[in-house]
Amino acid sequence: MASVGPLPRRIVKETQRLIAEPVAGISATPYQDNLRYFAVAIEGPTDSPYERGVFQLELFLPSDYPMAPPKVRFLTKIYHPNVDKLGRICLDILKDKWSPALQIRTVLLSIQALLSAPNPDDPLDNNVAEVWKSNEPEALRRAREFTESFAMKPNAAETAKGP
Amino acid sequence: MKKTPAGEVVIVPRNFKLLEELERSEKGHGDMAISFGLVDTSDTFLSDWNGGILGPPGVRTQYADRFYEVRIHCPDIYPASPPNIRFVSKINMNCVDSKTGVVSDKKLPAMRNWNRNMGIEQVLQSIRMEMCSDANRRLRQPADGTTF
Repeated sequence: MASVGPLPRRIVKETQRLIAEPVAGISATPYQDNLRYFAVAIEGPTDSPYERGVFQLELFLPSDYPMAPPKVRFLTKIYHPNVDKLGRICLDILKDKWSPALQIRTVLLSIQALLSAPNPDDPLDNNVAEVWKSNEPEALRRAREFTESFAMKPNAAETAKGP
Repeated sequence: MKKTPAGEVVIVPRNFKLLEELERSEKGHGDMAISFGLVDTSDTFLSDWNGGILGPPGVRTQYADRFYEVRIHCPDIYPASPPNIRFVSKINMNCVDSKTGVVSDKKLPAMRNWNRNMGIEQVLQSIRMEMCSDANRRLRQPADGTTF
């Protein structure tokens, strides 16, 4: 079913800019049948255990966007203390630190930064955070193993179901 | 479906709708007469769920105080189509296939009148309500605890 009626100007502008001036290592493409729903791919940052992986995410702009934050989730399995088993992300700007001045672009950059700098003191997955704090080399090894298994498949583009 | 002041109809995509349903269900529904959760808590596409329905209490129905287990499957096209529901616990109801336990989408009101604003919760509630209908409430029931 297609979105009906006019898409807010703000969303149109953000989408145009995302496509015209993409952020390095990040792509975000709206689904043609739902222009508030985006397929996102983020490359794992260099010098992180996610390096050389490509992570698929999905992003949705709810009806009260930009007064409310976008909803974003990993579809590719990832070993990270701030991402849970369903791909939900613990990130302040997606919750209480959201401001309408932020954009899709800033959200995706923050997620990319979260891959470079995991924060085990504010965990979403307690088991992962525990390993991260007690045995970081082991945590990094597991994160690399997940990256190899799930984010480097020749056909890593697990397509999202929807809309 | 929500309409913005500008008249745009906003469609919540399948996965985000199911995440909302999961979060709501984890908070609990009032008296917990119905409950549901993922079969596999790492199921990225949130397709398969376990559900429970507590038969309406009192002497009015044959289902009173029994706990019924169901399996719920949300197809790829959900919520354009309702979830598929199958009873695990044996039950005798008009809308349930007596051999397989599958709930008929033509006979259950919530599935017959399905729209994408509804969810798993409404379907389970509709089944529970059907237990009180004239057609169902006096039906003889299989032994408690048996399965399909």
